[in-house]
Amino acid sequence: MKIAVAIKRVPDMDTRFKIAPSGTAVDETGLKFDMSDFDGYAAEAALQINEKQGGGEITAISLGPDVVQETLRKALSMGLDKAVQLKADAVPFDGYAIAEALAAELKGGSYDLILFGRMAIDSSNQSVGPMVAELLGLPCISAVSQLDVSDGKTVKARRELEGAYEEVTCPLPAVVTIDEGVARPRYPSLKGIMAAKKKPLEVKPAQLGPVTATVAKMELPPERAAGRILGENADAVPELVRLLQTEAKVL
Amino acid sequence: MSVSQLVYALLFTLAMGFFAFSARRLVAFLRLGRPDPRLDDVGTRLRNLGLIGFAQTKILRERGAGISHALVFWGFLVVTVGTVEQMVQGFWPAFDLPHLLPSPLAFVFNLSQEIFSVGILVAVSWLIWRRTVATPKRLRGEGKGDPVHHGEAILILSIIATLMLSILVESSFELLTPGPDGGPREPLGQPIARWLSLFFVGSDPITVPTAHLVSRIGWWTHAVLVLVFLNLLPYSKHLHVLTSLINTFFSNTSGPGPVGAMKPMDLEAETDVYGASDVEHLSWKNLLDGYSCTECGRCTAACPANTTGKMLSPRKIVVNVRQRLLEKAPLLVPGADAARRGAAEQAAAGTVADAAAKVLGKKLLDDYITEEELWACTSCRACVYECPVSIDQLEVINELRRNLVLTESRFPEELMPAFEGLEQKGNPWSFAPADRGAWAEGMDIPTMAELQARGEKADVLFWVGCMGSFDERAKKITVAFARILKAADVRFAILGQEEACHGDPARRMGNEYLYQVLAKGAIEVLNGYEVKTIVTHCPHCFHQMGTEFPQFGGHYEVIHHSEYLERLLADGRVPLEQGGDKLVVAYHDSCYLGRYHEITEQPRAALKRALPVMTLVEPARTKSRGLCCGAGGGRMWMEEKDGKRINVERTEELLATGADTIAVACPFCMTMISDGVTAKSAATPVMDLSELVAARLREPTAAS
Ligand code: SF4
Ligand code: SF4
Repeated sequence: MKIAVAIKRVPDMDTRFKIAPSGTAVDETGLKFDMSDFDGYAAEAALQINEKQGGGEITAISLGPDVVQETLRKALSMGLDKAVQLKADAVPFDGYAIAEALAAELKGGSYDLILFGRMAIDSSNQSVGPMVAELLGLPCISAVSQLDVSDGKTVKARRELEGAYEEVTCPLPAVVTIDEGVARPRYPSLKGIMAAKKKPLEVKPAQLGPVTATVAKMELPPERAAGRILGENADAVPELVRLLQTEAKVL
Repeated sequence: MSVSQLVYALLFTLAMGFFAFSARRLVAFLRLGRPDPRLDDVGTRLRNLGLIGFAQTKILRERGAGISHALVFWGFLVVTVGTVEQMVQGFWPAFDLPHLLPSPLAFVFNLSQEIFSVGILVAVSWLIWRRTVATPKRLRGEGKGDPVHHGEAILILSIIATLMLSILVESSFELLTPGPDGGPREPLGQPIARWLSLFFVGSDPITVPTAHLVSRIGWWTHAVLVLVFLNLLPYSKHLHVLTSLINTFFSNTSGPGPVGAMKPMDLEAETDVYGASDVEHLSWKNLLDGYSCTECGRCTAACPANTTGKMLSPRKIVVNVRQRLLEKAPLLVPGADAARRGAAEQAAAGTVADAAAKVLGKKLLDDYITEEELWACTSCRACVYECPVSIDQLEVINELRRNLVLTESRFPEELMPAFEGLEQKGNPWSFAPADRGAWAEGMDIPTMAELQARGEKADVLFWVGCMGSFDERAKKITVAFARILKAADVRFAILGQEEACHGDPARRMGNEYLYQVLAKGAIEVLNGYEVKTIVTHCPHCFHQMGTEFPQFGGHYEVIHHSEYLERLLADGRVPLEQGGDKLVVAYHDSCYLGRYHEITEQPRAALKRALPVMTLVEPARTKSRGLCCGAGGGRMWMEEKDGKRINVERTEELLATGADTIAVACPFCMTMISDGVTAKSAATPVMDLSELVAARLREPTAAS
């Protein structure tokens, strides 16, 4: 099956962020970057589909400056077959601008399946996948936790709801955005890392759409007050109850 | 030329020819292994050969079997001189070695032959009894896939016994015939010979011709049996008789080179297979190890994984290497196995091809040695330490693990977070790198960067390690040690946020790629500050940076805090309070100190200096025999599902000493033994060496 997986390079979220002097973005100095978690699930889902069906080809696509090549190589080292970088100086905030660039690249590719992560874990917009589907005129199922395309014609997808799940189907080709639960992304073996060095990575200029939405201001949440230790064991309970009633007013 | 000379010459040529064929075949099989140069530092190799080989120091680590085996071995060396004499006699009957020697020497020679023959006979009889009747646990197989070749062992032992008997018969009856000068032979041996003749022939005195005949029968029995024995060896588990001395010479397990260092991998090499999944990916030396294994089981008896009920048996690992090699190599070495080919030609061509394909389709990994066995290893090195013929079981385990991780990306899922943490955060638990130096807040400890900014230099770098930086319990060790350093006025600094894991856990878990990235990163930082001396309280950091960093250009003097504390205390640099509590302390040896670096006395000496009224007690297994805590080899990050928990077993042993305090010198041991104490619902405190010392510091603590 011919599959495309869109991949975003995001900072490690388990960091104490600082705001850049511009006031509209995070300060990237000293940050570590990796593939967005949900994109990792998408890549793994694609690999498993083709491993089960045999053959096929998976293309990783990422938009951004040259540093995204590192993330694309990681996808290749997991076992994806080739990569395309849509080169842009920066990744715009406006999902539509990105979606146009991706759609332009994906349009001619005759992909059976186009996978996205449910969202990028840094911007949490959840918008690019559905927008690309719209631009390509394809059906879209979002936030999928189980995926079955084994008949080669239809997508059978499972979506988790609050306390329930639903099964959604649509014909291929289609766009699917992946939630966690599909499969843990595999750990690239050294063999995979070495092979990835030789796999094709194409660089093309990104045909970004118009940017209409921009970030006006970014702020960190106020520092949380330090926790207090009231004591240990049962002795501390009365004081805890008192404070929960008087100070926190939750009881 | 007499008929007997002719017959002997024929037999001898045939036997030697076949032996040469067997030997060449075995050597050709070894060549399938990867290259591994082993001719460096011949001096150390000869020393090993002398001590471990000829003086049998490792064999003698176990009393009973050790002494009998050493007797057999030394006896063999002596008796071999006689055997060579006999071979010469086969061609030249008049040859008589004692006759060529000055008479006192001749007497010694004759006597030595007989004494050692009797000695071997006694020892071998005991060994046969032990195998058949007593059968200690380590000589019993572990069941499936871990066979012990009893039948073979008994056959070989019986042949040895017969060889010895025939020597005795030959030489004693010879005493009843006239000597070369016509007179009677040694008067001393005569009465014994008489007695023997009574025993064997039933008449006393016997006639000279009868005596001569019996002596000749003894001679021929021995001559033929020696040749048979020689040709049986290459096909039996007693191959070690031929290879173990050679193996000891080529072994690196007691040096030369850094002991316990894992081999560096060339990650740029063009290859499809990283590590080893089959015999041809192992080094020729690993294969020679396979030949040399005596199946004595000392390794398995010492293995903490095996003895607590895990699948792993280091003996099985080595025996599997030999089995797999002997199964696969004949198909890869053309003309190596005429016998097999002969049989092959008789059989239908199709089935032979099928059989061959089936053999080639198998692998050492999975078909012989399972993942489960490999991941059970704690890298404690007990197996390597105990092996009497210097086999490196651990290297095979590590090579197979490398294959699992680097080639197949196949490992217990608990390891994934550890790998990711190491990669992303520089520590296996994904703590925020920014918090690495948090323990030092308010202690006025400079970082290397701060010192550099001030244009100053530290004498020593205190490498804290991931455990010491992040683990709540281990941070107390770190603080205690730092307090001692300050009290002793050591000019030291830490790296703070610039410290990141050196990669040792990744390397032990088979992830050489991640290891090399981390190790090179750490070396860059250390070299950037021109660090010369490092002190650390983690034995794994100590081992990795001191022993393995030189592989990547990191050359430092790395000192473990047990040794460092002992030096500071010996120099009187640590101000201590007088007196102190009367503690009864049991010290638990960390594998990476005791067995990897033979650091067993320094921590004890430090304890004694710091706590003069303490009583030191030893657990049943201690020092070089100390039982692992169960955390090494990446086991820290894996669940222990099968059998008894190793840390509980060890804690029981420590508690059984009756100690009121357990001392450790490793943050990993600290975790494992503390958990063990909790599991046993005991209240015995587990303290690091530095904490015991720091508790007695005379310092203005209130002010700091
Ligand atoms: S290193 Fe220790 S755990 Fe591993 S096989 Fe040897 S004895 Fe067993
Ligand atoms: S590897 Fe060494 S210790 Fe283990 S069974 Fe073989 S000879 Fe004995």
